[in-house]
Amino acid sequence: MPTTTATLTLSSADITGHNFNLTSTATLTKAGGSTGLDEFTGITSRTYAAAQTDTVVVADSIYASTTVAHKVYIRNTASGTSDYILVELEGNVIIGRLYPGDWMLMPYGGTLDVQVTTLATGVTIEYGVLSQSAAS
Amino acid sequence: MPTTTATITLNSADITGDALSLTKTATLTKAGSNTGLDQFTGITTVVYSGAQTATKIVDAADYADTSTAHKVYIKNSAEGTSDFVTVELGGSNVFMGRLYPGDWCFFPYDGTLDVDIDTSAAGMKVEYGVFSQSVASS
Repeated sequence: MPTTTATLTLSSADITGHNFNLTSTATLTKAGGSTGLDEFTGITSRTYAAAQTDTVVVADSIYASTTVAHKVYIRNTASGTSDYILVELEGNVIIGRLYPGDWMLMPYGGTLDVQVTTLATGVTIEYGVLSQSAAS
Repeated sequence: MPTTTATITLNSADITGDALSLTKTATLTKAGSNTGLDQFTGITTVVYSGAQTATKIVDAADYADTSTAHKVYIKNSAEGTSDFVTVELGGSNVFMGRLYPGDWCFFPYDGTLDVDIDTSAAGMKVEYGVFSQSVASS
């Protein structure tokens, strides 16, 4: 089975009274086991010619659900500072806004679509899903 | 204002026919500006003596909302392979996903919904923290 790792590094010299550095590496495995996730969508890159409303970037219907360890990656690749991507779960459950350059990696249970809304035209986005082919 | 960066690296030699090697760094700024996020909770580490249900770890009431670029970090620091953390949003406990031991997540947060967790077993260790802006952007 594939071996995929996800490493997060958070760093700041001045957000607290001392240097803050955190590094965490996860080996992405299927739920409840040590077998690696076996599916990957690749990284999709899109430039939306028009503003988007609740555009589905991850459709729950194509994923196993609940007892899963899927991961969703999304990045706002727009330039500037203002053109954000609003990330929601189906049903207008707001997760948050990704401003230009921001990225996210979240666990995904495969029970709700992941949707994005953009207010500006020409916003660019990258996204991908690392998943397991069957629920554990 | 503080400067905080978040870097993700995804690596795999064999999940596709081509090696996956992705590294992206974000400088964490307030919504719509170049000014850095100015608040941080620190990283909280909790070992829950019993299994948890809808335990609030991020309280929306504590944060400015909507025009914000807050970020939430959560890690399941449990040992083994089976003990998972369920991440949920809001009073209806909308299911985002599960973090298995060693898994972490980092996602944007707009301050309108609580972030809750369930844990599947007693004795699980969870880390979490929030980077935020003190006032919503105009």
